[in-house]
Amino acid sequence: MKDGLDLRHDVQDAQLVDRNSENIGRCDALMLELRDGKPPRVATIVIGGAARNERIGRWMTGLARLFHGRGDGSDGVSRVPFSAMKTVGDTIQLDVRRGELPSEHVEQWLAEHFVCRIPGAQGKKERRK
Amino acid sequence: MKKWAELALGVVTSMGGFLEVGSIATGVQGGASFGFQLGWALLLGTICLAILMEATGRLAAVSGRSYADLLREHMGIRFFIVPLVAVLIPSFLVLVSEIGGVAIALQMATGIAFRWWAIPIALVGWFLLWRGTFSIVEQGTAMLGLVSLVFLVAVFKMHPEWSAIGAGLVPSRPDNDKAKYWYLAVSILGASISPYLYLFYSAGALEDGWTIKYLNVNRITAGVGNLFGGGLALMVLVGSAIVFMPRNIQVDAYEQISLVLATPLGRGGFVLFLVTLFITCFGATVEITLANAYLLAQGFGWPWSENMKPAKDARFATTYTVVILLACIPIALGADPLKLTNISMVISAASLPVTVIPLLVLMNDERVMTTHSNGWLGNIALGSIAILAVALFVLAAPLYHLGGG
Repeated sequence: MKDGLDLRHDVQDAQLVDRNSENIGRCDALMLELRDGKPPRVATIVIGGAARNERIGRWMTGLARLFHGRGDGSDGVSRVPFSAMKTVGDTIQLDVRRGELPSEHVEQWLAEHFVCRIPGAQGKKERRK
Repeated sequence: MKKWAELALGVVTSMGGFLEVGSIATGVQGGASFGFQLGWALLLGTICLAILMEATGRLAAVSGRSYADLLREHMGIRFFIVPLVAVLIPSFLVLVSEIGGVAIALQMATGIAFRWWAIPIALVGWFLLWRGTFSIVEQGTAMLGLVSLVFLVAVFKMHPEWSAIGAGLVPSRPDNDKAKYWYLAVSILGASISPYLYLFYSAGALEDGWTIKYLNVNRITAGVGNLFGGGLALMVLVGSAIVFMPRNIQVDAYEQISLVLATPLGRGGFVLFLVTLFITCFGATVEITLANAYLLAQGFGWPWSENMKPAKDARFATTYTVVILLACIPIALGADPLKLTNISMVISAASLPVTVIPLLVLMNDERVMTTHSNGWLGNIALGSIAILAVALFVLAAPLYHLGGG
């Protein structure tokens, strides 16, 4: 076992879950905070398409711009303070609620405006055997 | 007792779900042109698939995570985007072909042109996904898929020379038409080792709640189940060789394929061919649709499960809805299902390296696999498949150009 947290291996791209253990995307980027006279520290976990696209490369941001027009890069991106991190294991649990995250707006919008308008969306499905 | 039931179910699921549009089409074309000689490609493809499924199943049972999930986490988004695209494109094409297979079966049964069936098929498939649970989708279609055993019956009735079939399982060079021979070998391999199969399998292991206690179920399902399934696919090739080769018939439409069963079994054989084509392609249609949704949901960390109400995993449910509806469009526009199948199999074969090579890496990562990481035998097996995958990547396009198109 190693000590400490390897940001690149253990945090970047990890599956994130909220307070209720529901999936809320992946750690798409990690941001350092630069402070006057003090060493920088890890400040935020960023979740969302724009952060992801930037990591993939310029061509991806360009492609995304084609589809979404000139976004200011803040739409649908969640910035969760590093201090909200509760546990690190197979997944990382953040002390947030899914409903509060801008990056989850798509999920909510689709649920409300598309999925739940189709009959049977709330219907019974059995739990796994 | 319960364990035995689970093992039997696993074997039936792999076997009943094995045949689909690609294995039927490539097997029949191989048999019609080269007799039993391409049996080895089917055997090799089946063994590779069994090894890949065992590995992804073990990965899921040990880590509690799917292959796509680990692929994203351990390789990072910059790498993940490559297998993502490389899997989505061929599996979408294969999906279109499967819908085409169902549509052809309905055309042959009713006389109504196949293109009119595309949208109804997509809607029925979607409805099954919307309302059904994972076990209904997977095991339900696989149970019905056991009707494909009729190929075995047909071959027995034609009394083939079994020693000649056995000889075909050993690779040999063709006497003539080299380009076509190797092209068909590639497409048989592509039909047997589709990436969607093992991505679906590892997601399915989680849907069924597999844990480390299921390693034996995994081994038997992946090993025995696929070998039986591959045996059935071999019967398609053998039946085609017996029926078409002596008559020098080249297969260029699905309608002809029914002769493989109709020749030995008469009218009943024809009907059973339609039922087999319909069920196996329909089963593959819903599975590939789900596989695409799993890949996206797991890669991007959305909530996902075929056992959840669509309202609870809206992006996942929207994805499979959009995928199956998009996939019926080419068929509704009248695309030739057999041509589409052929090109899909080749693209599928070419896409293998980006999902096989990272698997080899993950299977040796002790942070993921703890004490169940690959031994030397497993590494030689997966390593050989990786080399084969790279060869297929390099050769697929030239061979399609020379031998297929």
